[in-house]
Amino acid sequence: MPQKLLEINKVGKSYGKSVILSDANLVINEGEFIALVGMSGGGKSTLLRMLAGLEETSAGSIIQDGNKIQGLNKEARVMFQEDRLLPWMNVMDNVLLDKRGKQSVSEATELLTQVGLGQYVEQLPSQLSGGQRQRVALARALMSHPRLLLLDEPLGALDALTRTKMQDLIRKVCQDKAITTFLVTHDINEAVRMADRIAVIKNGTIWRIVENPYRGKESLGDKEKEVEISEEILAEILD
Amino acid sequence: MENIETNEKYHFSFKFKNSLPWLIPVFLIVFWQVACNLSWVNETLLPSPIDVVTNGIKLFKNGELQENMSISLYRATAGLLIGGGLGFVLGFINGVSRKARLLFDSTIQMLRNIPHLALIPLIILWLGIGESAKISLVALGCLFPMYINTYHGITSVDPKLIEMGKSYELSKKDLFIKVIFPGALPTILMGVRYALGVMWTTLIVAETISASSGIGYMSTNAEQFMDMKTIVLCILIYALLGKLSDFIAKNLEDIFLEWRAVERRNTDASETSRNK
Amino acid sequence: MKNLKKSFIAILLLFWCGVAIYGWHLTREDAGSSSLKNVVLGYQAGDEFYISKIRGQFVKKMKAKGYNVKFKEFQNGAAMLQALASGNVDYARVGDTPPVSALAAGTKLTYVAAGGTKAKGSGILIRKNSSIKTLADLKGKKVAYTKGTSSQYMLLRALKVAGLSNDDITWVNLDSDAASVAYSKGKVDAWANWDPSVAQVEITENSKLLVDGTTTKALNRSFIVSPTTYASKNKTLSKLIIKYTEQDMKWANKNHSKLIKKMSADLKLSKKVVRRSVIRRTFSMHAMSKSVVKEEQEIANVFYDNNILTKKIDVSKHVQYLK
Ligand SMILES: Nc1ncnc2c1ncn2[C@@H]1O[C@H](COP(=O)(O)OP(=O)(O)OP(=O)(O)O)[C@@H](O)[C@H]1O
Ligand SMILES: [Mg+2]
Repeated sequence: MPQKLLEINKVGKSYGKSVILSDANLVINEGEFIALVGMSGGGKSTLLRMLAGLEETSAGSIIQDGNKIQGLNKEARVMFQEDRLLPWMNVMDNVLLDKRGKQSVSEATELLTQVGLGQYVEQLPSQLSGGQRQRVALARALMSHPRLLLLDEPLGALDALTRTKMQDLIRKVCQDKAITTFLVTHDINEAVRMADRIAVIKNGTIWRIVENPYRGKESLGDKEKEVEISEEILAEILD
Repeated sequence: MENIETNEKYHFSFKFKNSLPWLIPVFLIVFWQVACNLSWVNETLLPSPIDVVTNGIKLFKNGELQENMSISLYRATAGLLIGGGLGFVLGFINGVSRKARLLFDSTIQMLRNIPHLALIPLIILWLGIGESAKISLVALGCLFPMYINTYHGITSVDPKLIEMGKSYELSKKDLFIKVIFPGALPTILMGVRYALGVMWTTLIVAETISASSGIGYMSTNAEQFMDMKTIVLCILIYALLGKLSDFIAKNLEDIFLEWRAVERRNTDASETSRNK
Repeated sequence: MKNLKKSFIAILLLFWCGVAIYGWHLTREDAGSSSLKNVVLGYQAGDEFYISKIRGQFVKKMKAKGYNVKFKEFQNGAAMLQALASGNVDYARVGDTPPVSALAAGTKLTYVAAGGTKAKGSGILIRKNSSIKTLADLKGKKVAYTKGTSSQYMLLRALKVAGLSNDDITWVNLDSDAASVAYSKGKVDAWANWDPSVAQVEITENSKLLVDGTTTKALNRSFIVSPTTYASKNKTLSKLIIKYTEQDMKWANKNHSKLIKKMSADLKLSKKVVRRSVIRRTFSMHAMSKSVVKEEQEIANVFYDNNILTKKIDVSKHVQYLK
């Protein structure tokens, strides 16, 4: 029986009269990689922001370790669609942010080496490519040892090749460190490539949850089965 | 071989580029001297550059020039520090706190529209004619550009970066030091540059209020007796001091905003490669 | 390279601060000591207080009597009287016209002392080769003057002497710098002005005085004025100032060459110009007398009659006769 980390309980959200979410329910287990897919404007980012504590729920509650999330969720770190690196700091300082001391520096160096940027510590963000920048953002998020990593379409702006590489990198790092990961994406193939479970958001609720047995194995999975699941999810969304 | 040649050419054009801004001033001064020598102009109305310089040397030798210059510099600096500092603090408070903004901003905007030189009579009545009056006037002139730019700089920092900082649990202090202040710095430094300009123009006027020292005094005093050499010398000193402060401001920008130069170079490079 | 630039700018800024601090010291030096009573005298370069200032005896004598004298230089009488009205100047050395205008504007000032005149150095300047030969020739000409200064009075008096009406000439109101340019360019035919500027123009612009104050009775006398309340509380001080200034005036009359040398350096005028302006005046400083009050009253009357002042002024009500 997997350990429950977080429970989204009858959560609703509305801006004025427009209802974005109503009665959304989802359980996120410790250590799993879960993806959230759905139509644009369907409330994916809104839900993620509520998990991060950057947005309040209008109804229902989000419970983490038995406590309702109020204010910032300190166990979680967000990787945004844009890298949101500070353009005036070099890569190392961006990863460190407010952390000081020798230990933090060696940890940051290790993380940067892990994401393949060992030689770029002195560079400014503007001197890096889009993919490299997102890798810095990943290292920055991992720096605080989050229990929950929230990814809001972080690879949306990358080209297909870099994207695939980044997908594998993120998947691998999260698995190595056993970090619970919540990925928002509108790319179903990405979800299928990366996630253990895929939640479909529709009509303001979690419409369906699809188990993805072909991910997380050593082999890259069965191409045909992947396509099958993708099509199934797509049908669910468009239905 | 060819390589070396092109390199040299590059070197030459680089040097030439450096001297280009000085070309027109130097030409003007030479032309001016020649015009005086050939008496195309009346020397009592426009003395020759050499006369002006010898007059400057004379004033330097009897100590008048340095004394007046350092007194002017003191007034300018004190005014800039007080006014600019106040403008920065006000701009900072209003940029950060919505309540303070509602309370102060419209009042400040209203006061801003009064030309600060129009306040001279009031300042004389309140503060007299001593140093404090002159410094206050300069301070008043420097306050608004610093306020506007600090305020504008802080309020226009990318809210996404601020949200990132908050969600990464930066303390208020760190959020300011690492995110808000550096983000606002380009605009703030623009304010500094602008304030430096206002500083000198205000000082000239301030020193005509009953000063008995300073470059402005030297010039108005000379004006009374049609001493054109000193007047022109004072104008040149102002031009030089203005250029010097602009040079410092520009270099401060280069030093503190190196990241922007790098950014610009990179976008330029990618743009040219794209155009190719 | 980058570090070089950084250290260069740092040194430049340090130098800047150093110079500014030096400037601060310079402004502090004349702040004066504390146990003495401060007295602020307003002057314009070349006048009676200026002579007392450059001779240096005045400050010492006043210090011995318990006063710390500070001299403040002004560019014109109006600015000085503005400072006087706001209590920033205790005694102001002014010409004869600005105090009349100030009284009309409601400034509470008192005449404390009267000096010599500049009758021979005040008048209407014309070029030596000008077609204007007599006062009557001014008819139809453009004449520069400065509103609210003795030049305005001078011109009114001159027209009266010539038997011309105010509309017979074109009045061109210019401040002294603008007037000097206008005159040298020939944009105006004549210029009502006073020394040392007159002496300067006479020499550099080949000009002469068509008429001076001895004929027009626009004498351009010096006065010392003080805020009314201050004057009534400080009669002993006023007497001291008159006494010591008069001593300096005697010195000035006897030591022309020293005075001329110093003045020409300070005013940045040639010795020739300064000598001309110095030798045609006699320096003095005395308590007020009935006859000088009459002169001032005449100015007030003429200005009122010509609608320059909208208020009738009784000068004798603003005078202190110190004996
Ligand atoms: N602050 C807000 N005020 C009002 N409406 C908002 C606000 N934030 C989001 N919305 C609305 O909520 C809806 C859901 O937005 P959300 O960003 O969650 O969509 P999404 O599923 O992430 O879409 P996408 O895939 O395009 O990013 C949108 O219709 C949006 O206009
Ligand atoms: Mg979104």
